[in-house]
Order: sequence, then structure tokens, then C-alpha cells
Amino acid sequence: MIQEMLQSSPGWFNFIFFFIFGLVLLLVVLGFVTYSILAERKVMGYIQLRHGPNQLGGRFGLLQTVADVLKLLLKEDIIPKMADRPMFILAPVIAFAPSFMVLATIPFTDRFQFADLGVGLLYYVAVSGLTVFGILLGGWASNNKYSLLGGARATAQMISYEIPLVMSVLGVILLSGSLNLNDIVHAQKHGWFILLQPIGFIVFLIASTAELSRTPFDLPESESELVAGYHTEYTGFRWAFFMLAEYVYLFAMTALITILFFGGWMAPFGFLDFIPGAVWFSLKFCVILFLYLWFRSTFPRMRADKLMEFAWKILMPVALANIMLTAIIKSLFF
Amino acid sequence: MLGLAKGLKYTLKQLSREKVTYDYPNEPLPLPDRFRGIQKFYPEKCIVCNQCANICPTDCIQLTGKKHPDPTKKGKIIDTYDINFEICILCDLCTEVCPTEAIVMTNNFELAEYSRDMLFKNLEYLDENDDNVRQVNKA
Amino acid sequence: MIKTEEMMLNVGPQHPSTHGVFRLVVKLDGEIITEAQPVIGYLHRGTEKLAENLQYTQIIPYTDRMDYLSAMTNNYVICHAVETMMGIEIPERADFLRVIAMELGRVASHLVWWGTYLLDLGATSPFIYAFREREMIINMLNELSGGRLTFNYMRVGGVKWDAPEGWIQKVKEFIPYMREQLAGYHSLVTGNEIFLNRVKGIGQYTKEDALQYSLSGVNLRCTGVKWDLRKDEPYSIYNRFDFDVPVQESGDAWARYQCRMAEIEESLKILEQAAEQFPEEGEILAKVPKIIKAPKGEAFVRIESPRGEIGCYIYSDGKKEPYRLKFRRPSFYNLQILPKLLKGENIANMIAILGAIDIVLGEVDG
Repeated sequence: MIQEMLQSSPGWFNFIFFFIFGLVLLLVVLGFVTYSILAERKVMGYIQLRHGPNQLGGRFGLLQTVADVLKLLLKEDIIPKMADRPMFILAPVIAFAPSFMVLATIPFTDRFQFADLGVGLLYYVAVSGLTVFGILLGGWASNNKYSLLGGARATAQMISYEIPLVMSVLGVILLSGSLNLNDIVHAQKHGWFILLQPIGFIVFLIASTAELSRTPFDLPESESELVAGYHTEYTGFRWAFFMLAEYVYLFAMTALITILFFGGWMAPFGFLDFIPGAVWFSLKFCVILFLYLWFRSTFPRMRADKLMEFAWKILMPVALANIMLTAIIKSLFF
Repeated sequence: MLGLAKGLKYTLKQLSREKVTYDYPNEPLPLPDRFRGIQKFYPEKCIVCNQCANICPTDCIQLTGKKHPDPTKKGKIIDTYDINFEICILCDLCTEVCPTEAIVMTNNFELAEYSRDMLFKNLEYLDENDDNVRQVNKA
Repeated sequence: MIKTEEMMLNVGPQHPSTHGVFRLVVKLDGEIITEAQPVIGYLHRGTEKLAENLQYTQIIPYTDRMDYLSAMTNNYVICHAVETMMGIEIPERADFLRVIAMELGRVASHLVWWGTYLLDLGATSPFIYAFREREMIINMLNELSGGRLTFNYMRVGGVKWDAPEGWIQKVKEFIPYMREQLAGYHSLVTGNEIFLNRVKGIGQYTKEDALQYSLSGVNLRCTGVKWDLRKDEPYSIYNRFDFDVPVQESGDAWARYQCRMAEIEESLKILEQAAEQFPEEGEILAKVPKIIKAPKGEAFVRIESPRGEIGCYIYSDGKKEPYRLKFRRPSFYNLQILPKLLKGENIANMIAILGAIDIVLGEVDG
């Protein structure tokens, strides 16, 4: 249905229709963010022999994040006197908007997708690259030295890791012969790409962790060095926007990994087809999400200079070699 | 990569282990008998010897005595006894020197107040503070 | 033309990983430090001056607050100094209790260091694991002395309390448990490639530097100098125990890490032997006069605290208060090498280097 509407001529009806759909997705995503933050705190708590939030919303602290967000909204909005006001206000918006835009191309199930673009993967990578402007702007506009360092680090890191990220997916693209995410899922009917592309998967996982700037690559906001990195001076809902962008990216990236390497909504075996695709998708999604949370509670942080070395000297060549290997395999066996 | 995998294995194992946190404000903390908390003062035992005020490293104890109301008895009885918990470091020296064990430690430690003045505790407060009193006072 | 300038950055006194109220003014060229200037004194309480108006027993609770992570060694150094001046013999049982308490304190102190160092490097979980074990030690010391952090346990001539019933058994049970946890720590952190990348070759100095800067403790032993007062100038009853002094050659943060982890094991060895040889009964306080008056004269004693050599100098004019009291506080001396180490490093390394020195601000500022 959405396909038809996309191709029909523009009009008010279409606009309202898409607006409402977008709003629904936003609410779904917000719900996810709420509970992924809770999940993060719970998983980290359990790994660290604590209970995590358990006061608000029953034994499992189900309303804790809601309360946190409410508190953020009620907070006084502070803009430092020496900050660059327009940029300071603009930065969280720039950081957040692309994170929501990328969700449009992700096929959550075979029917639930907003825009079935021919170059879906390329669109994802390109748009997600925009966030770094928001972060750099925020770091610069705060007029705080820690923020500036954090912003500079974030820019350097995200730009360098985007390259191995894209390179590692090229293997998948070679095998499926398409940039369309739907086609990529359909190409995994007989075997997930993680089995055909183990090296690609590992490189992608590492690079995506860096893209999301999560431990062990959380340098832009490394608490023990830069206090809070680029959002040191942000409070209240502006800060919440940065956080939101981060978690929406986590959502999008996890969904992307599910699609690229774990067969998206498809059941692992043909006889399990009776279980709906949404269930399979969320199952795989949760496993990958747990992986990120697990990494975060285990690893120390990398060092800034080693981080760049790692991206350019190790991940890049490995990703390139992976493309070579895939091309050879593809031309010999397929 | 092996080291990373080992670490991941270790954290995964911790996932199902027993939690180590206390459910503190809901359940009182289990504290040993020797714990040094807010002092309990027995006015009837005090002989106004001033040793506690002298030994106090931070000078937080102030006391005054008065003549014994019964003229047949010698000595003094306590009139006022104040401990300033803004500067008391709960070092236990006052209870150590007290010859009659008129001042002893308890297991109570919750001293939070809304005003600094309220940390100035007088004789009545210290007398009423009579739960969780330390059993053994001298080694 | 692009104009670049150096940036002055104030790290601390409110910064997540300066371990208290330590301030560091650094000049940055990009992320590279060109000059670092430590500013200390935010936690200065004037212990030494205050002590001039306090009786010797009253000074003991003040020493608790210097190196608050291993207050037992501070208690010991002041008591030991007064005992040396007065020539008091300590009962055997009291000596054993002191050694057990001090070694438990050493393990607890190194655990805090391990946890917070990993926290500085960005790993959050080790902190909690370290504090789990530390909590057990603290609970044991709480049972013994009645305090969790500021023990005020030792007295001139012995200790305040005898071991409660079953306490030695608890210590004995703790040792194998701690060894098992230590193996877990090694599997979690010691082999981790990211961690090794962050500590190897960081903050390196030579044996000569270490001696010139008068470093002590692990900061000295990591350069290959085998110097531990427990072995080289045995005080208390340390000569009765069989233990090694862990030494590393390279003098970097990684060597300091290895030294400290090995020291926990050696402390456990001492604890094991001390708990085994613990006398069945005996006095815990020697015969001392009610009011302690050190004879006229002076004394300097030094012992091995978890951070290095802690020394105590007393000059007495025969009164019940010291005329002058001076502590040689190891953290303060160990910190002096920091500006030299930081030159040319980047910010991430700054945290790794500062953390590896293991300072306690209560001790630095005195």
C-alpha cells in the first residue's frame, strides 16, 4: 500500500497519511528507546551483581526511564553565556533528525516498511553520516574545552569507521547483487550471510560499535577523560535529544545487522515459517542488542590514537581482503 | 582476541550470580556489635569526671554538672550534656575512657537532618537513643 | 594561514577521574600535553599542626583520615613511633592482630585501586567486582574494630579490641575465596588486549628517575628495585612470615599493575600464615601508663603502606603532646614525578598514568 502511495501524485491526503505513520513509528521508536535504556541498565546491573532500577514501576523498574525523561523535560534549560546560541540550539536537532530518517528504509517484516528504496543500504549509510555534524556543532558551540575535544574525537572516529563499515557490507552486496534491503533479506533464504561472510560480520560489528560510539569505542563521551565529551554543557531536553539520537541509532544499527547478516524477518528453517516474521525479527534483534550491552559491561575503552590506527591499518585491509575473497568465491561457485 | 573472549565469558558467568547489594533503606543494615554509632548516654551513671570531654579529639562534647540534690551524698550529677555531631567523628574514645560506662556506642548511624543546628544533640536526645546499644564496651 | 594556539585545560578539582580533589592544569597542543602542573591542597586539614595540641591517643583517629583506603597502616605508624620512643614491648597476640588487620587493609586498598583504575580506563564492571570482595574485608574489619573505614583500632602498646569469636576462622575462609576471585580478575582484565594496549609502555620511567624522585612502594618496585620495608627492615612480626616481594623491570603502568596484583597474592600468603600461627590467648595491650608521655627526644619510623613508605617523625619535649609531628606521606612523594611523565602524552594516557601512580588525596594533602 505504501508503495502505491509513494508512486501516486502528491497531495494533502498523502501528506497527512505519511505524517501520521511517521508519528506512529516515532512513538514505537520512543517506546523502544525507553525500554532499551532500561534493558541496558538491567543487563549491566545483573552483570555487575546489582539489581538495576527496581523502585519505580514494580519490581523491574518498568517506569524508571519514563520518570527520567519526565525529569529531563522539566529541567531548567541552560545555555552557557559564552556559547554560540543558534548553533547550540540547532546541534541536537541535526544530530537527531538523521537517526530517525534512516529508519524509513528498514524492513521490519515483509510488509512493514516505509520506503522500499532501491539503494536502501546506501541511503542508510549516507544519512547516518550526517549526525556527526550535529555532534561536532554541539561540541564547538558549547564553548567548552572538554566538549571541543569530544566533538573533534567524535568526528574523527565516525568518519574513519564509516569506511570499514561500508567496505564490510560490500561482501553482502556482492553476494545478494542488490543494495535493496528487501532483496538482501530474500537472498538469505538458504543461509544467513553471517555464515557466508563471517569476516565481514566481525568487521561490521566492530565498525558499527565505533559508529554508535559505545564501549570500547566510547571516546567522544569518555566519562573518565572528557567528563561527558561533546554534550558536557547540555542539559534537559537538548541533552535528551543527543541521548535519543544515540539510542535510535542503536535501534537502527541492530535492525540493520539483523537484516544484513541474520536473514531479517525470515525464519531460520523453512518448517518454522508458521511463526510470524515480526517475532523472528525481534528475537534476532534482542540477541544482537544483548551483544552490544554485553560488550559495554566487559571492555575497557580504547585509546584515541590506537583507535585510528585500528580503523585504518587493521579494519580497512581486512575489509578489503574480504571483498576480494567474496568476489573470488562468487565468481567460482555462484 | 582470546583475552577479550575470556573477559566476555567471565561477565556472562556473573549474570546469574547472587546479587551483592543491600536493600538498605527498606531493611536495616546488619552491623556488628562493635559498630560505632551515635552515643547513648546514661545520666544516672555519670559522675561528671570530664574525662570524655578531655579525650575528645575534636572537642565536640560539652557538659556541666551540678551539686547532688541529696545533701548527704558527695559528688556531682550531670546537668547538661551536649554532643555536636557536626564535628563528632565517632572515634569511640569517649566511651573508652568513661569509668562508669555512662556513655556507650549504639548501632544507630542515621544522622541526616534538615538543619545544621539539629545536629547539636542534647542530654535528652542521647538518653532516649537507647536501641541497638553496644553489648560489650571494654575489651 | 591557519593559526594554532595552545589550550590550557583545567582538569579537576571536580573531574571524574582525578581520584578526589586533585587539580591538574595542563597545556594542550591538540590532545598532546606540553606542560602539566599539579595543584594540590584542596583536602588539606593540617593533621600535623593539629597533632601538636593533641595527646598521642587523640592523634590516632586523625591518622585514619590521611590514607583512608588503608587506615590500619596509618594507625600503626603513629603507634609504632610512640612505642619506639617509650620502648614498649608489644604482646604477641596484639602484634598478630595488627599484622592481620594491616594486610587485610592492603588487600582492600589494592582492590580499590584495581577497580577504580579500570573505571578510569572505561571498564565499568571490574569496579563492582572489586568492591564485592572489598566489602567482605570491610565487614571483617568492622567486626574487629567497629568502623568500616576509619578504624581507630590500634593503641599505643597494642590494640583496642581482641578478635571476636570466630573472626580468625572468617579470615581463613576468606583467603581461598579471594584467590579464586583473583583468578577471575585475571581472566577478565589481565589478558584483555584493549587493556594491554592502554597500559603497556605508558608512563615509563627508569630506576634512576624513581630513586631521584624518592618514589616508594610499587612505584619503585616496578622499575626493578627490590625494596620492601617488610622484608628489608622488618618491623612488627613480619620476619616470621615467608613471602616474596614482587618486582617488575619495565617501569610502566603495566609493570605497576602486575606488581599490585602480585602483592595481593603475597598479602594473602602472609594472612594465611598469620591466621595459622595466631596465638590461642594472650594480652592485647601492653602495660602502658594511663597518660602517655613520650620521653624527651625524637624518633623516626617508617613502614610499608600499600602506597609506599609511610614515615612518622616525632619530636617530643616530654609532654603528653608531641612538640612536632611529621608524616612522610608516600602519595605526596609519588605524585611529584607526574609532570615529568605527562609531558608529550595525550589526554587518554594522562588518566592512565595518574591512575597507575595510585594516589589518595587525603594523604597527598595531609
